[in-house]
Amino acid sequence: MKNLFQTTWKLAPVLLLLVGSAITGRAQGPKLQIDQLDVLANKASETVDVKLDERLMQTTAKFFSGKDPDDAEIKEVLKGVKGIYVKRFEFEKEGEYSQADLESIRLQLRSPGWNRIVSVGSKKEISIEVYLMQNGDQIEGMAVLGTGARELTVVNIIGPVDLNRLSKLEGNFGVPPVGDAIREREKKK
Amino acid sequence: MKRKTAYLILAVTLLTTLVSPATAKGDGFNDAIKIIEQFYHVKHQNIPLLARAGMKAVRTAARMKGGDYKRLAEAGSVRVAFFEDQNFDSRGQIASFKASMQATLSEAWSPLVQTLAPKNEEQTYIYVRDAADKFHVLVVTIERHEATVVQATVAPEILAQLMKDPNEMGKALTEDATINDN
Repeated sequence: MKNLFQTTWKLAPVLLLLVGSAITGRAQGPKLQIDQLDVLANKASETVDVKLDERLMQTTAKFFSGKDPDDAEIKEVLKGVKGIYVKRFEFEKEGEYSQADLESIRLQLRSPGWNRIVSVGSKKEISIEVYLMQNGDQIEGMAVLGTGARELTVVNIIGPVDLNRLSKLEGNFGVPPVGDAIREREKKK
Repeated sequence: MKRKTAYLILAVTLLTTLVSPATAKGDGFNDAIKIIEQFYHVKHQNIPLLARAGMKAVRTAARMKGGDYKRLAEAGSVRVAFFEDQNFDSRGQIASFKASMQATLSEAWSPLVQTLAPKNEEQTYIYVRDAADKFHVLVVTIERHEATVVQATVAPEILAQLMKDPNEMGKALTEDATINDN
């Protein structure tokens, strides 16, 4: 009995850490912490940082005209979207950022709820990874990591995203083209 | 007489207590100017509205879908400050400047778009906050030798259109604020 108590006591920190990680992962939700990447701005030749939060999205989404076909489609895609966050860095030289810089993002994407659904690309070109946070059939959020030798892009969309209509957002709201990667995945299915 | 003086002192003390925190917090526009001045050791010029005659007459209508030129900002809502012929050198610390802007403005304003190109010292910062049924938009653009701070009130439908192309938004609003449509 004493031994069991001692073993449990010794394992307590590990158990606490595991339980804590699980809780943090669930509590974190689909919104990723990406501001730690800002330090890369000093090395980047160009940085774009877009933050469209829920209040702004919902206030302005209703002003997209239903008469304009493009606006009408965007309005439809934005239904339920609670935020769009984009960070894009372009570098003049290769090797200006490392995988270690990305580790904090990947760590969050390894937490419960997130699943990688697409991973395409090669070392020479830009690799695209698409992650979804799902609760049953319901999509709660999406993350896209675009990594290339001279480029790094992180997109985080909060809320139910219709993957088939995601292309409507490309080029709008700072969202880069990610639809090709999704279509590639659909072809493979 | 003594009672009157005591009341006066009390009133002044109360007013100071009530007014000071709001004043100290700043209004975004002046805060942004102050951060630029402190970080880059430069000095701004307030250009009166009439003196802006003859400045860029770029028609931003092209960026707005269809139709003739339409003002983006609400009439009379624009505040502009210029920094001209000065040296904006981030000394490799452009991220620190961005962090300073964020730390100062984040309490009352939401960051919307920020673009940085350190090589040319080009930076754009756009912040938004509620203004009843409209929005206040604060745009800071910095280049190697000049900078502009613009605050304007825009209607939500205008903001919705501008949000579609966040990278162009700052440019469109700054041009709109400095346009001469006489």
